[in-house]
Amino acid sequence: MIFGVRHSVVVATLLATLGAVVLAVLTWKGSQVTSESFLVTTYIGLFLGALWAMYATGLVVVYTTTGVFNFAQGAIGVFSAFLYWELHVNRGWHSILALFVVVCLFAPALGVTLDAVIMRRLRTASLVVQLMVTVAIMVLLLSVVGDIWEADTPRRVPYLFGINNGIDLGPSQLPWHRLIVFVVAIAIAVSMRFLLRRTRIGTAMRAVVDNRELAALNGARPNVVSSTSWALGSMLGALGGILIAPELGLDPATLNNVVIIAFAAAAFGALRNLPMAVIGAMLIGLLRAHTGAWLDFGPDFRFAHLAVAPLILLFVVVALPQARLEVGRLAHHLRRHERYTKWWEGLIGCGVVILLAVAFSGGWLDFGIWDPGAWGSRELNSANEAMALALIGLSLVPLIGWAGQINFAPLAFAGFGAFVYLKFAGDSGNGYWILLVGLLCAPLGALVALPAARLRGLYLALMTMAFAQAMSLIFFPHPWVMPIIGTGRQFPHIELFGVTFDDRRGFFLLMVCVFAIFVYGLVLLRRSRYGRRWMAINDSQAAAATLGVPVVWTKVVVYAVSASMAGIAGVFWATVSGNVDSVQGFDLLIGFNIVLLVAAAGVSIPMAGIFLIFIPLFKGFGLRLEDAGNVDFLVTLLDIMTTYGPGLMVLGMVFNPRGAIFEMGRGFSPILPWRRDARAEIAAENAQKREPEIGELGIDRPFTPEEVIAIDRRLGILDEVVPKEGYGTARS
Amino acid sequence: MKHFRLLICLLAVFALVAASCGGNDDDDSGADAPDAAPTAAPDDSMDDEMDDSMDDEMDDSMDDEMDDSMDDEMDDSEAEPVATEEPEVDPCEAVDLEATDVGITSDTITVLVMADVGSPLAPGLFQGSIDGVKAWADHVNSEGGLACRQVEVLEHDSAINPTETTNGFLVACEEAFALVGTTALFALDTTDLQSCSDAHGNDIGVPDFAYITTEPPHQCSVVTFATSRPNSECPYSGRGPRAVQSQVGHAQWALENISSDLHGVYLVPSDLPSTIASTMPQLRSFQEIGIVIDGEPGVSGFTTQSEYGAFIQVMRDAGSNFAYTGSDDQSMIKWRSEAEAQGMDVDSITWMCQLACYTPSFLEAGDVIENTYIWLWFLPFDEVEHNQELADFMVAIDDPFPPAWAAGSWADGVLFEQVVNGIVAEGGPNALTRQAVLDGARSLTSFDVNGWWSPADYSTTENIMPCFMLMQVQNNEFVRVHPSAPGELDCDPDNVVGLTKDWGAEFGG
Repeated sequence: MIFGVRHSVVVATLLATLGAVVLAVLTWKGSQVTSESFLVTTYIGLFLGALWAMYATGLVVVYTTTGVFNFAQGAIGVFSAFLYWELHVNRGWHSILALFVVVCLFAPALGVTLDAVIMRRLRTASLVVQLMVTVAIMVLLLSVVGDIWEADTPRRVPYLFGINNGIDLGPSQLPWHRLIVFVVAIAIAVSMRFLLRRTRIGTAMRAVVDNRELAALNGARPNVVSSTSWALGSMLGALGGILIAPELGLDPATLNNVVIIAFAAAAFGALRNLPMAVIGAMLIGLLRAHTGAWLDFGPDFRFAHLAVAPLILLFVVVALPQARLEVGRLAHHLRRHERYTKWWEGLIGCGVVILLAVAFSGGWLDFGIWDPGAWGSRELNSANEAMALALIGLSLVPLIGWAGQINFAPLAFAGFGAFVYLKFAGDSGNGYWILLVGLLCAPLGALVALPAARLRGLYLALMTMAFAQAMSLIFFPHPWVMPIIGTGRQFPHIELFGVTFDDRRGFFLLMVCVFAIFVYGLVLLRRSRYGRRWMAINDSQAAAATLGVPVVWTKVVVYAVSASMAGIAGVFWATVSGNVDSVQGFDLLIGFNIVLLVAAAGVSIPMAGIFLIFIPLFKGFGLRLEDAGNVDFLVTLLDIMTTYGPGLMVLGMVFNPRGAIFEMGRGFSPILPWRRDARAEIAAENAQKREPEIGELGIDRPFTPEEVIAIDRRLGILDEVVPKEGYGTARS
Repeated sequence: MKHFRLLICLLAVFALVAASCGGNDDDDSGADAPDAAPTAAPDDSMDDEMDDSMDDEMDDSMDDEMDDSMDDEMDDSEAEPVATEEPEVDPCEAVDLEATDVGITSDTITVLVMADVGSPLAPGLFQGSIDGVKAWADHVNSEGGLACRQVEVLEHDSAINPTETTNGFLVACEEAFALVGTTALFALDTTDLQSCSDAHGNDIGVPDFAYITTEPPHQCSVVTFATSRPNSECPYSGRGPRAVQSQVGHAQWALENISSDLHGVYLVPSDLPSTIASTMPQLRSFQEIGIVIDGEPGVSGFTTQSEYGAFIQVMRDAGSNFAYTGSDDQSMIKWRSEAEAQGMDVDSITWMCQLACYTPSFLEAGDVIENTYIWLWFLPFDEVEHNQELADFMVAIDDPFPPAWAAGSWADGVLFEQVVNGIVAEGGPNALTRQAVLDGARSLTSFDVNGWWSPADYSTTENIMPCFMLMQVQNNEFVRVHPSAPGELDCDPDNVVGLTKDWGAEFGG
């Protein structure tokens, strides 16, 4: 410790500062720095910081009081800003009235509804499910905004009291709106800290997160407290969105992306420390403003100044202390009844997949408009793209599904694979280089795993998100990585075993084969020592470590395997279209969608890959439907499903946390003659369902005699304690 | 030029026949459709829209501004009214119409409009392009069709996505005769577009009448004819120096009429390599004609208004009196709002913007954008009395202030129409094939959307449209500044500057 600060933090800070100085010297623009220009730039930075601080405060408050990190915080702000515009600008309401209605009525109502309908059910869900559901809410809210307000139309939200009115600062002017934002941001942070630390409700909020039952026994009302927390978080999100909108314009994507900067600020405060979160936001604001004003990164790194937030997030996460092993608490998801797929089952399954793909795409079976064999180039092109994304999605199964290591950067690994392939295979399209891609992507995965090995849960999610964002802003847009070409394909057709896969149908079949190999490899991996170790560290790192499992090494291996799979998938993904949009092609939102779909399918089941293979088929059906005509209602339905489907599917995880494939598999497996275990499991579950729900330890209301019997039966003491005539009779 | 004159003559001859088929005996209206063919026969609705003095105004203004070839073209077209007095012969009735190529039947010509619409990031982005092509098709069909057939429009959403864009090319290849009004930002691979087979199995490609072409593969596609010209040398490898022509007439006008000592900041839209590469030539051309650039920062859609403060500071330090954004209307609004917020003397600065600021939402910003200059390469929407094509467009699109995309894709439709009419005039309605359309489009050396737009040369990708007109926001309206007479464009050859540089590397960030 140096002055009470850990060595690692001091060293990381010194290294970061040194790096920043070197970077500044190398990229200095040469502009004259006057006191006036420095002050103006500082003022801009502080104002930006204040904007982001409001979002960050909302994130911290919700996380501290509910234990859920709300990825939808930005989307709540977007929705509220549009609603404010509708009331104030479009319908002519007074700004104060519109602000009151949105922030004090709509936002709390939205928060309470989200809590009552969704969040309360996630209390015992795994972190993956919690995060995925908030991401799904974000996607759904943005879709609704797009549908209601035709988000392509440029709109402006006016500044409170106008842009021309404010305080004269000499070299510049401070408009009232900005002063209000600054004051409100600080006031909110101070008041929230007071609320959480000094008031009874604040204490109750934190207590409910720590131990809901214990808090309830001490007089707190958990449901009321969590609803209050969500209402408060929504209000802060709404206020942030409305106050930021005049600065950015009413563009959903732009407004929502602000929340990523707020993530970095919140992480600066370790997700719980409000003052540090505000300081983090201010620091990011100052760095971004001064970077933009004085540094010149050139055309090749033109988005570098936008990468300040993800880089700070990475730095903060690296500087975090080693996560403590959780002991004395059993995870809820331990109650699983999983069965290892036998090697021959996997072999048969993969064989069936390949045969079906060949039969379908070869046109051997006639299914009318549903027949993929009748697909044209367009349908096959879409199917190939979806198939490649499914391959990328499959790489998440061992990482997220088994090892419980959250990864929002599958597209970054895939893009890196495409880059490696481009550099080595060049114009040849030699498919054997794909194996090398797999080998070279593994170290990148291991590199990411090193800080990940120290962390887990939410920090891991944030770190991978920052990594993905940094790659998409700094690495991929560089012209050396994905050079722009004048004509033709950037990625040539793959040539393998003397065959050039320039035919779309042939390429589809090639990818199906790769998909089947991936799935079968996963089946075997899951049965291996490593597969069992990954499951073990997911269940309990403490227990795994106690049993001699090398936790760090196990994590490194699973990251390497996942990155390797994603890298190979990336080659196919890039080859489908032949050209990669190096700027938007690696957008974080696309990566989010892949993770969402895989999670909804059931990320822990290797055969969930089968579900992903239906995505291209489904997409092909949609295109065929459009051509068939006279099916407008189906096309409309498809549109709605395309817009809202992924979000709604993920919301389904609230009820089926293990995903759609898991549930489908449970329904299907008892039919198989050799699955006596599945039939027995279903029978046991049905018997259990006939028993009444026990409730929350009798906190909300007294136990009924039936519930007492149910508890005794589960404890195995029913025969000893229950009189023949039953409790009710005995007491009476 | 020889081919063009021949084409015009053929069109005029055909128009004589066509006009007589229309059954309209109003002499005036024929002058308003210089490229008339069977489809362009005048009707009553056109007459309702135009006043009697329009032709005179058109003649005066065009004579002043257009070069000799343009005058010849106008003269040829003005001869058309005579056609109405010829004996009525319907060329369509005399021919047994055939399905001559993909997308053509005896009754219909199918075209496909592809635009970026359905992206979650920017929903509805180029919906205007689809609306423009549909309006054009409705207009053409209401006047009897094209090449004796009705025009059917297929839509494809390229969704700001390279794969969906390729899909659009594939659909066009299989189901449409041509692409009209293409407005796709990520046409990164045009292999399927250029190698598509026609009905005879020849890999000649699909004719693509695009509005915008942002990526080099699309700009240099041999089957693509963009009404918003790329102004760039082709073929191009994607890296290294490239010859580009830029329109600087508006800046030249500012130097001559506002201040000969203009110096200031030029904002470069830096989100995409293609936007940088397309903006930098104009910036360097400004320098070439004498405007000093105090700063050339990049802006993104994610740049907050307060971050424009840094650009204001550069202007303040340098005492700038000129400000130009190569980005969109929202960029200019943020910039000017921030300048106001920082207490800058905004009236001492010449604020200038391009077509992207010609939107209703720009005017909605109110006083903050007062006095901003905007330049266009076509006549503004409120000058319907001075151009028949513009009048037709405004009636068909049924929107008092349509998006520029709609105007662009309408222009694509007119270009396609003109090429088709040329083929029909020469070989009859059954001569219509993709190959004939490609040949016809490649031989066009001047096309001006019937006087609405600046004329463009389709025999090369490099030559820019030389004409422009300048407007200024005054009292919350777009007011014409130069040329002062409505219906006119400034077509001075000096409006164009040509430079050869590695444009991607020119940007300093």
